[in-house]
Amino acid sequence: MAVEKFTYDNRIAKYFAVATVLWGVVGLLVGLIIAIELVFPWLNLNLEFITFGRLRPLHTNAVIFAFVGNGIFTAVYYSVPRLLKTPMFSELLSKIHFWGWQFIIVCAAITLPLGLTTGKEYAELEFPIDILITLIWVVFGWNLFGTLIKRRTRHIYVAIWFYIAALVTVAVLHITNSLELPVKFFKSYPIYAGVQDAFVQWWYGHNAVAFFLTAAYLGLMYYFVPKAANRPIYSYKLSIIHFWALIFLYIWAGPHHLLYSSTPDWVQALGVVFSVVLIAPSWGGMINGLLTLRGAWDKVREDPVLKMFVVGVTAYGMATLEGPLLSLKSVNAISHFTDWTIAHVHIGALGWNGMMTFGMLYWLFPRFFKVKLYSKAMANTHFWLATLGMLFFAIPLYFAGFTQALMWKEFTVEGYLKYPNFLETYLQIRPMHLLRVVGGILYLTGGILMVINLIKTAKSGKFARFEEDQAPPLEKKASTEKFHRRIEGKPITFAILALVAVLIGTIIEFVPLFVIKSNIKTIASVKPYTPLELQGRDIYLKEGCYNCHSQMIRPFRSEVERYGEYSKSGESVYDHPFQWGSRRTGPDLAREGVKSGKIYKPDSWHYEHLVNPQKTNIQSIMPAYPWLAKKDIDIASTPSKIKAMRSLGVPYPAGFESSSVDDLNKQAGAIASGLRNAGIQVEDQKQIIALIAYLQRLGTDVGANPEMVIK
Amino acid sequence: MSTADEKINRGQEQDYEIDTLTNDRLISDHEYDGIRELDNDLPPWWTWLFVITIVFAIVYLIRLFVFSSDDLIQQSEYNKEMAQAASMLPSQIQTSAIEFKVLTDQTSLTNGKTIFDKICSVCHLMDGGGLVGPNMTDDHWIHGNTMEEMFNIVTNGVLDKGMISYKDQYSPQQRLEVLSYILTLHGSKPANPKAPQGDLKEWPY
Repeated sequence: MAVEKFTYDNRIAKYFAVATVLWGVVGLLVGLIIAIELVFPWLNLNLEFITFGRLRPLHTNAVIFAFVGNGIFTAVYYSVPRLLKTPMFSELLSKIHFWGWQFIIVCAAITLPLGLTTGKEYAELEFPIDILITLIWVVFGWNLFGTLIKRRTRHIYVAIWFYIAALVTVAVLHITNSLELPVKFFKSYPIYAGVQDAFVQWWYGHNAVAFFLTAAYLGLMYYFVPKAANRPIYSYKLSIIHFWALIFLYIWAGPHHLLYSSTPDWVQALGVVFSVVLIAPSWGGMINGLLTLRGAWDKVREDPVLKMFVVGVTAYGMATLEGPLLSLKSVNAISHFTDWTIAHVHIGALGWNGMMTFGMLYWLFPRFFKVKLYSKAMANTHFWLATLGMLFFAIPLYFAGFTQALMWKEFTVEGYLKYPNFLETYLQIRPMHLLRVVGGILYLTGGILMVINLIKTAKSGKFARFEEDQAPPLEKKASTEKFHRRIEGKPITFAILALVAVLIGTIIEFVPLFVIKSNIKTIASVKPYTPLELQGRDIYLKEGCYNCHSQMIRPFRSEVERYGEYSKSGESVYDHPFQWGSRRTGPDLAREGVKSGKIYKPDSWHYEHLVNPQKTNIQSIMPAYPWLAKKDIDIASTPSKIKAMRSLGVPYPAGFESSSVDDLNKQAGAIASGLRNAGIQVEDQKQIIALIAYLQRLGTDVGANPEMVIK
Repeated sequence: MSTADEKINRGQEQDYEIDTLTNDRLISDHEYDGIRELDNDLPPWWTWLFVITIVFAIVYLIRLFVFSSDDLIQQSEYNKEMAQAASMLPSQIQTSAIEFKVLTDQTSLTNGKTIFDKICSVCHLMDGGGLVGPNMTDDHWIHGNTMEEMFNIVTNGVLDKGMISYKDQYSPQQRLEVLSYILTLHGSKPANPKAPQGDLKEWPY
């Protein structure tokens, strides 16, 4: 058989690797900044752009889509040509992919601090960037499948199965969750509301973890671990079983983020059981990674690359055992809204994604530059800094999460909450947040050592852009292979089957929730927001209040005593997007406006508190928002916002948009004159007025007697 | 890997090579950029783990969908929790038998200060000088200044003015403690006192 010669082009893989390093440092640095801001709120320097609520989305997006995203593409662009014995399909597509993705990241880094956000966690980017992501993803898919079609190996390796599953599923997730109605440039409303929006969002959020951070990185593991250890994969059979089980089961598990919320019991139950069933498929990946190192443990002691892979894969195993445990309702009742969740995701991000990326980079750079790694000792130091950094990060947060949850739930013998003051429960865990900062510093220091080491490595060698290889062309022949081996030879069929696997759970969960009315009980007294409240709500989104404040009172005695009547599914039907939140760094706001409630504060208090929270409580860790009292409401956008909401199904009367500005001005005037009577000098059209109007509306539609109004 | 290429041509599944370090069988035609695969079976403990979790899932779903078990329906769970707590809910506590007297012992005043600093100071400031709520140190009182009048304010709130009810958060004894502490602030000189509001009352009350 004739052997064909061809050349791999390492340039794009190198570009992606450099981008991974760069954005990794940025992501870690922003994470460190917000961790410090959480303890010292004045560090926002009264600047809106660097306030926690705007920087936290930047941190999560930078780590997930910039750091890990570029890590995925590094792995794909390096391993796919070698696994398929062909160069990438198109150098032009590769370049568009690379520069397009970096452009998206830069757009994110500019728009998020500006407060241009959809207000949906991990999907904050506004619609123009969403469209760009879709286009670049298509380019990526086109390039990957073009390469698959040109391949010279008959079968595709398990790493590529995972890449395909990630590619296909992330496309479905991103498009479905980003369906939004533009109101103006860089402002849109999601088409879903309330319970449905929460469900779609966490179906997306959970599976962004599952497919972006997990499946794609399992692909990375399946290539780089056996390459670095020079050992065969432990079990091909396990690869098959755990791959299909993982992608089929993962897609169902999103509702475990909504346990004890106002989503229906059956949705929550599916979230619970599919999370538990995921333990074995996840561990299949861990086993296949770790047991591939059998016979190479002596090398693991020596080689920083393998050490990092071992800790990375182990962290994956720990996180995927912890995840199902957190999905049990009894555990979730404690862990949810606390730092426990934050600790959990950082075992995944710092341990699994971080360590796997570092290992890959330390393995790749010497090969890119045809030289030995500049300093193995530095890499070993990085390994220890990263490992200790992760532990210093996670252990205090486990402690903090558990402590705060128990304080929230504790009653005195007389039947009162032991700690009715929310801030008290935060001050108790503040030292833990300081320790977490130490963990972050250690981890970032390790990252900086890596940057130096990789630069020195690159400088001591010469970039070898092209690598020669040869292989016989792929022959067409009738296949007599077993079923799975046969589809490994048919990438398109494989992709379709993977798509079917993820669509089954998606459809079974989506359809009943969107079709059966009884899932979301109508409450007659729930009315659309007034124009001023709607504008205030957009300010709430813009400032990222949801990053610290939940709006979901769970049906527990401890929460009902603290915040008021628990949240009902019918209450958020006009909330495009929902704002239930995921971490209570500050108190829940679902009943903030209920005058006879537990946490009501007058308008003048909200004004003082927003402008300078430490004035009302010196120990408060809320940052100040003085610009809200200076900047004007975007009143001109009111009619188009009302119209957009109406076309999404919010029952504003016909023609209401034309009187909406008058309505807004009237309500704003009433609030502002009330404030002026209380001695506060403020003009009617300031943003703070709209935000106060929104806060004072929260929870009032149902009020004290919800049973009376549920149909 | 030229040896691997030869293996591909042979293409027989039962034609195994042995991995010398582990004595496991390599699968003959599986080679990707030098990566080989072993023919190991699923670890039995792993298979059992999978089976057990599947059984758990099935039982869980049957309990919900067929038997509607109370512990899987959150409304029922909540009703149960509240029923258990019914006898000791704050709203059940009777306040009729309370003696409205100013407490002067140090423990009560310390407890009162703790509560004031955590809760009341948010509107009345730490030194009682008033911000959103009125000044607590002057001689002017909006809603009366007898212990009974003040107790009613803390218990029922002045909802129109933003003072909420604290009857569900603090016991009658604690309410007396915090009120007694507030009276000790009388005549102190807060940094930025709020202008007097309400009627002038004569000290001592």
